[in-house]
Amino acid sequence: DKDGKDGKQSFKRYASYKGELALPKEVEDLKIHVDRRNRTVLLPVYGYAVPFHINAIKNTSKSDEGDFTYLRINFQTPGQVGGKKEDMPFEDPDKTFIRSVTYRSADGARFDNIYRQITDLKKEVSKLEAEKRDKMD
Amino acid sequence: MSALASFKNIYHGQSTEPGEIRLTHGGLAWQGTETKAVVTVASESMRAAQWIRVARSFQLRLLLSSDKRRVTFDGFHRDDHDKVAHICKQHWDLALDTRELSYRGWNWGEYDIQTDDLQFLVANKPLFEIPLSAIANSNIAGKTEVSLEFLNPEQLKPDPAAPRRRRAGDELVEMRFYVPGTVERGEDDEGGEG
Repeated sequence: DKDGKDGKQSFKRYASYKGELALPKEVEDLKIHVDRRNRTVLLPVYGYAVPFHINAIKNTSKSDEGDFTYLRINFQTPGQVGGKKEDMPFEDPDKTFIRSVTYRSADGARFDNIYRQITDLKKEVSKLEAEKRDKMD
Repeated sequence: MSALASFKNIYHGQSTEPGEIRLTHGGLAWQGTETKAVVTVASESMRAAQWIRVARSFQLRLLLSSDKRRVTFDGFHRDDHDKVAHICKQHWDLALDTRELSYRGWNWGEYDIQTDDLQFLVANKPLFEIPLSAIANSNIAGKTEVSLEFLNPEQLKPDPAAPRRRRAGDELVEMRFYVPGTVERGEDDEGGEG
């Protein structure tokens, strides 16, 4: 049932970058960066610039607590409730998945902006893929 | 000891303070530009040397034999590789190994717990590493979910005398993992954090 016939979507492979040369220069400030052209969000994790393709991202939420703004990025993983998405395809559901990451910043305006950029990119890519699917049918 | 090479704007560990690193026959010395703090590593204590692309360009990572720990310096340029590799080989008797990371952008893979780090690998290449010392708390939230909470910089560096400097970028607070584990698949209705 790997091919996901009969209406089930099959998993489509994607990749953010071929190698480190393609990483955007902005990652060096150790802040979250949205690389719209490559449909990728880069997260700072203990010195690394870690790319996550927009297809791996489910949604983003934001909250303010005290002096900080918190930004949570939720990823596509198996075993999630909510939304009738049981047929969400995965390449290998037996792996370990990063389900969410939460960051905080004292610069709320910047996190508002990052939140908007990720949400817009997600919408844009979902729309393009829906259009592509419609054309194929 | 005279320096074989020196490099500016190098960061020690996760610090945001730039400094200068000097490589000598006997090892290396880094000094912070603002605090004048000094970090030295003797070549006898070096067990392995690695070259890794990180956020702040390239990292020289030295694995130490003494207590199995490691020391890292970020901010090297791509072109510095050959100079550093030459010193590693000629003076420290070490090969400078380039470590390849994953740039696929996937959020699934395997985790691996090593001496000092929790490593996450995508298609057998590291995606990131988290120092175990940075983990404040971990919880099992539901049968397939594990969460990690991280120490914030104030907790990591409780030194009120340290000069106030710019925040070290965005701070990672929490990470949650879906770990399928050994629970039988199929009849799963998750408790659901969603």
